[in-house]
Order: sequence, then structure tokens, then C-alpha cells
Amino acid sequence: MLVLGIETSCDETAAALVEGDGKVLAEVVLSQVAEHRPFGGIVPEIAARSHMAHLDSLIAQVMGDAGVAFKDLTAVAATAGPGLIGGVIVGVMTAKAIAVVHKIPFIAVNHLEGHALTAHFSNGVAFPYLLLLVSGGHCQLLAVEGVGRYRRLGTTIDDAAGEAFDKVAKMIGLGYPGGPALARAAEKGDPKRFPFPRPMKGKPGCDFSFSGLKTAVRMTVEDMGALSDIDVADVAASFQAAIVDAICDRVRRAVEIFPEGRTLVASGGVAANTALREGLTNTCTKAGFAFVAPPVALCTDNAVMIAWAGLARAQKGISDPLDFKPRPRWPLDPTAAPARGAGVKA
Amino acid sequence: MLILAFDTTAAACSVALWRDGIVLQSASAVMEQGQAEALMPMIETVMATANTPYTALDRIAVTIGPGSFTGVRVGLSAARGIAMAADKPVIGVTSLEVLAYAVPDSELPNGPGILVAVDARRGDFFLQKFKADRTPAGEITSLLPEAVAAWAGAGPWIIAGDGAVTIAPVIHARVSTASPRPDTTALAALAAVRVPQIGGPLPLYIHAPSVTMPS
Repeated sequence: MLVLGIETSCDETAAALVEGDGKVLAEVVLSQVAEHRPFGGIVPEIAARSHMAHLDSLIAQVMGDAGVAFKDLTAVAATAGPGLIGGVIVGVMTAKAIAVVHKIPFIAVNHLEGHALTAHFSNGVAFPYLLLLVSGGHCQLLAVEGVGRYRRLGTTIDDAAGEAFDKVAKMIGLGYPGGPALARAAEKGDPKRFPFPRPMKGKPGCDFSFSGLKTAVRMTVEDMGALSDIDVADVAASFQAAIVDAICDRVRRAVEIFPEGRTLVASGGVAANTALREGLTNTCTKAGFAFVAPPVALCTDNAVMIAWAGLARAQKGISDPLDFKPRPRWPLDPTAAPARGAGVKA
Repeated sequence: MLILAFDTTAAACSVALWRDGIVLQSASAVMEQGQAEALMPMIETVMATANTPYTALDRIAVTIGPGSFTGVRVGLSAARGIAMAADKPVIGVTSLEVLAYAVPDSELPNGPGILVAVDARRGDFFLQKFKADRTPAGEITSLLPEAVAAWAGAGPWIIAGDGAVTIAPVIHARVSTASPRPDTTALAALAAVRVPQIGGPLPLYIHAPSVTMPS
């Protein structure tokens, strides 16, 4: 088997080729960060135009790198949601076009399924496992019971974790994208200087909330006026400690609810955060769970995970019709109730 | 020359398989949105009905805009995908050229010629003047209806496009009987005589992106 994966749902344009055993033959990711930075956030129309401008040459690149032809493909998989719809459409149309020419299956991949299955392929984690999906667009805890079998245990009811990182980074003048910059600033800061709240801590269930934490940081920053470098570092460290603490508390709840998971997998862009990885490692050790975080390049958006999800579906004989409608919102667990205030993040 | 031509830049989804001036198969449906779902099955039906493999095509023809931003990308990403996978050239033609080309000779006025108006869906219109031979007589512009008369100058004009009905009274123009949306037969005819560009056609948006932050 040979599956082409395409990812265009946010601000990374990516293509990848994987074989039947999951081996990655070629991959490429083109970040649009520089195009969005002047606006302090992702501008949907700019993202869509950039995907349109670059996707086909990136696909040609991976085909060339792997030394394979389109006629050799078994299936073509593209992120068909959730995400910024203008970009998703570019990836879906390109995939459908390749599929019709070579009469191969088109597979509409849920972007979240890509994140959910990554550790299964990258680290050989067996089903079932507990998944913490933390990114700029999502914050969820899921029971991953098999390919296509996901049960949502908890979700954010307002902001995504990465969104909270970016917004706090903006408040303390760290620019865009703020998450990695905030983590760097936090390295030199005092995590105990500001006792920010740990939202939802101790509450039943596994839902997350970050808006109260964000507001507390904003009020603190506004009270302080001009911030010194030390202030910036201390706010960053105190915020990071609070959000890591809040996330770990929710993970402890999920472990109690889903003990058969045995392994916690962290995925999504925020899973690249070192402090969070340390917190989750400690939490899992105490709970008797293994902790696995895929390599950082497979935690952030990429097309390898889309090709893998496509492969997993192709191996089960699943494909999608050519009239498949790209979905801006597409919950991984269709039975889970929408979380008010979280929009597509739920 | 065998050409697969399609358009999704306006409120429709249209496909034609064309050979040397003759339409072998075609399909079209009027729709405000939904082209991302409708286009590929429509292409498949046209190709299958004509019993034509994609490898038999000489080229792909597609409208590059201006029009709906999403519609432009639906058509162009499909065209570039088919072209790449089948290793065929893709020719991009502006929606305004296609609309001007489809105006019947019998409607040409004794005056400057053809004016094409496409609704830009922000209150303004994409406009371009064409000579009687259907070649552009100026650049594409975007204007509010009240500014069109000064820009157009003396007529008489025949006007085409999905903005024609709105703009015609402003400049006392007659509205063409041609389709208000790009006609894929005209698109194929125009594409047949173009030279393929290295790197393929690019989208023609005219308008810069509106910068609104995601919530």
C-alpha cells in the first residue's frame, strides 16, 4: 500500500507519503507563520490563498523525493475538517482530483483522528489508550479504543490551551506565535510569584476551562503597568505553571474514569511544551500510566498523521464519496454533547 | 484538441468535455455554494459518459477568477490536481474573458464594444472593457455601481456577466442574452489557442484578503 496524505486545515501546508507498514517515504511541511505574524493571528483568507499557492508543488516534491508516480498510489487522504474551511477545500479538491484520475479511493480524514492515531504509528502504542489533544484549536481528553472508535471524556468549554498560551503571550508583548516564546520566557521566571487560578481543578469530570486564568493574567498585567524583563518571565512562568497544573488535574480525573487506557498519549502543538511534558510524566508515574508523546514534528500539524489515518482507514476498506462536503466543525466523538462557548474546539 | 473545461467562480458549477469546437458532453447546475461537493462527481459523470480516460485529454481549462474566492479555489485546485496527476497542461482563463467571448456577434453594438460586470459580492463589481474581437480594452477594475458611468465613458455597450442586470441601467447598456455565468464551451475555445504557462495558472482574486481575526 502507498498512501498520499494532505494537510491544509490551519496554517501549515503539508504532504506526506506512507507505505502499508506505516513507514514514511517522504514528507514536507510549509509553515505560513511569517505570513500571519503581522496580523498577530491566523487570517483565514491569507491561509487559504497560501495553501492554494503551494500545495501542488509540495505534493510533487514528496512524490519526487520518494521516487514514486501517482499511478503507484493505493489511496489519497486529505484533512476534510475540522479547520479553516477555505484551506480545507483546497486540500480536499486536490485529493479528489488525484483520486479520479487514477481511480483510487479518496479518504476524508478528520484532522483530530490524525492527532489521535499518531502515537499508534510513531511509537507503536497499542489500543486502547488515553489521549490528551492539546493545540491552538483544541483541548480534549479522549478514550482511543481503535481506528474510528473515540470517546470524548472531556473538552474545553471556552478557549483551547494553545489559544490561552498565544493570548497571554500577546498580553506580555511576546508577539506571534506566542506559545513557544512564552515557554522560553518562562524558563527564567519564578512560577510561584503570581498565584494564578487553576480553573476546574478538583471539579468532577474532565472538562477544561482557561478563560478565567486568562482574565486573571490580564488583570495582573494591567495592574503592573510597564513590565520589566523579570516581570515578563515571572508572569510567563506563573501562567505556565497554572495551566500545566490545571491540565494535569484533568488528566488525573481521566485516568480514574478510563483506567483501561494504561497509556497517556499527548498530541497537538502544545504537547511540544517541555513543562507540560514534565507535568504529565509525573502525573502518569503517580497514576501507574505510561506516558508517550510523539516527536514534536508529529505533534504539530503535519501530513504524515493524515496519511497514517488514511492508511488505517484504507486497510479497513473505508473510503469516502467524491461529493464529500468539507466540514469546518467535525467532532471526533459524534455522540458527545457540544460544549457551549468552545465552538469548533469541542 | 480534447479539453476538459470547468468553472466554479460564479453561482454555478459547470463542466464540458470539448473537442475542436464540439461539445462531447457537458453538465451544469446553478448553485450559490456547494461547488466543492458538486464539481468532482460532475466531472466524473461527463468523462464516464463520454467514455474518456483522463490520460486522453490534451489539456485542462479552468476559470481563474475574478469571482467568489472559494469558488476560484475549488476550480483551480481541482484543475491543478487533475493536471498534475494526469501529467497534462492546465490553461487558466479569466472569468471576464470567458463572459465576453460568449456574447453573440449579432449583439455587438456600433460603439466601443463589450463590457463585462461580475458581482464581487461586497457591493462592488469586477469590470472590464472588451473590443469587438473579444480582446481586453483595459485592465480589470472593481467599482461601486455609482462609479461605473464615469469609468465606462461613452457607449453604446453590450453588457454581460452576473452583474449586467444591475450595471446596465447605470450606463444605458443592453444586457446580452449570453449566460450570465462563465460558459464552459467559450472557456474551452479560448483555452485551445493559449500557450500553457510554466508553473500553471494562478488564481486572480483582484481584492486583497479582508483581514478579520478568527474568533
